[in-house]
Amino acid sequence: MICYRCGCTLSEHDFCTNCGADVALYKRIIYISNRFYNDGLERASVRDLTGAITSLRQSLKFDKNNVEARNLLGLVYFETGEVVAALSEWVISKNLRPKKNIADDYISMIQTNQNRLDTINQTIKKYNQALTYCNQDSLDLAVIQLKKVLSLNPKFIRAHQLLALLYINSEEWERAKRELTKCLEIDTNNTATLRYLKEVDEMLLPEEGVKPSKKQKKSEEVVKYQSGNETIIQPVNMKEGRGVTSLLNLGIGLAIGIAIAFFLILPARIQAAKAGIDEQLRKVSEQSDTKTATINELEQQLAELQAQNETLQQDVAAYMGQDGSTLQSVESLMKAAGAYLTDDEDVVTVMDYLEQVEKEKAEEENENSEAFDTLYNTLLALIGPQVAESYDKDGHDAFWAGNYADAIPNLEKAFLYDATNGQALFDLGNSYNRIGEKEKAKEIYRQVIELFPNTEKAEKSKNFLAELEDAEE
Amino acid sequence: MINFEEELKKFHPSLEVEDAEEAIYNQDLTDMADLMVKIVKESKKAGE
Repeated sequence: MICYRCGCTLSEHDFCTNCGADVALYKRIIYISNRFYNDGLERASVRDLTGAITSLRQSLKFDKNNVEARNLLGLVYFETGEVVAALSEWVISKNLRPKKNIADDYISMIQTNQNRLDTINQTIKKYNQALTYCNQDSLDLAVIQLKKVLSLNPKFIRAHQLLALLYINSEEWERAKRELTKCLEIDTNNTATLRYLKEVDEMLLPEEGVKPSKKQKKSEEVVKYQSGNETIIQPVNMKEGRGVTSLLNLGIGLAIGIAIAFFLILPARIQAAKAGIDEQLRKVSEQSDTKTATINELEQQLAELQAQNETLQQDVAAYMGQDGSTLQSVESLMKAAGAYLTDDEDVVTVMDYLEQVEKEKAEEENENSEAFDTLYNTLLALIGPQVAESYDKDGHDAFWAGNYADAIPNLEKAFLYDATNGQALFDLGNSYNRIGEKEKAKEIYRQVIELFPNTEKAEKSKNFLAELEDAEE
Repeated sequence: MINFEEELKKFHPSLEVEDAEEAIYNQDLTDMADLMVKIVKESKKAGE
């Protein structure tokens, strides 16, 4: 303790040993300030923050230089969410005692963390905004804003109280009580909190005066009468009656339940089941359609294959020989080759087979293999001249004998196998002429004139041709 | 019964951080000791 006049440290005497000033009253003031500080400290230690604030402010009223009281006041303000008030106290404290002051640590704690400082500022601004909303009758917005405030600073007692007040106003008693309970957890003796809580409790709990009245009412619902020396107390509503009512209510409840199930739940279930069945039916139908399409396609392929098979069988049957294993033309060629190898002089037999081959080739209308054609041509080259000569001899013998009917086929073949045999062709024409086939004869004569010009046969053919044409005219 | 309007009037806007400096300067720090000194001085003046 220092002298208020000279700043010298005071002793136990009631005057200053340095300047002689009377400090009895001054000391008394300092003692009172310290008493309030002690009181505030005790209250703060049991979380009576409102009481602590009151005591500490009293302490500072007596001695503004009581740094401990000021620091504690700041701390209590901080705990109640009043950060700016706390900062103010700590700043003043630091100015009063710049060194060895815990306020310095508190200030640093807040100022070094910029995010924390921003959060504090936002909290305060939102609280002020919520208060503005309240004054504008936008209570819903105020509630939302206060919830945000409390999510940022859950110890802000004034925000809790305002939110509780809003809940009370909207008669949301449980919520109001919850907020007030949180307030009490922070500050156990806040007058406003306790007042609101009392109001909420009155609304939530039944009034004390009501209970006796209910008892009285109950007592009125009994019938008292004397039976001999005993007083019989019988309730007006018999238990049996209550049981029947309960059973009746139970029955009605069951009936309503069944009706709800029948009219509301069951149709929905049936509809859901139908929908499921329809879905399955649709899937099965789709599968069936797909399979039907596949079956139709396969049937079509089968019909095409059967048609191809029949055609091929016909072709094969046409190609097959008498033994059913080789083609007919090949068989005939083989026979011709066999006949030639057996007797190369028997050209007529060989020629018959070759003619058969020629005929069958025309019928089959298919191209034969190179080996087939080579063999055929070889045989034809080997026996051709002999065949031609043979037919020529037979033909002319028949011609000279006047047997023109036999002569004609032999002469035809003679010319066929020897195209240079002009005489055979000329006598063929003569044969036709003799038997009266004029047109055929004229055709043959023209052929002679064309194929063998400037020959005697050609000249004769011209004459015969002229005679025939003249005869027609 | 709590009157909402009346209760609402008891709530005042909180000081923002920007306003802290002004609040500190405007704070009345006069204490009982200052008053006592003032009274003593005035009484001395009156005695002279």
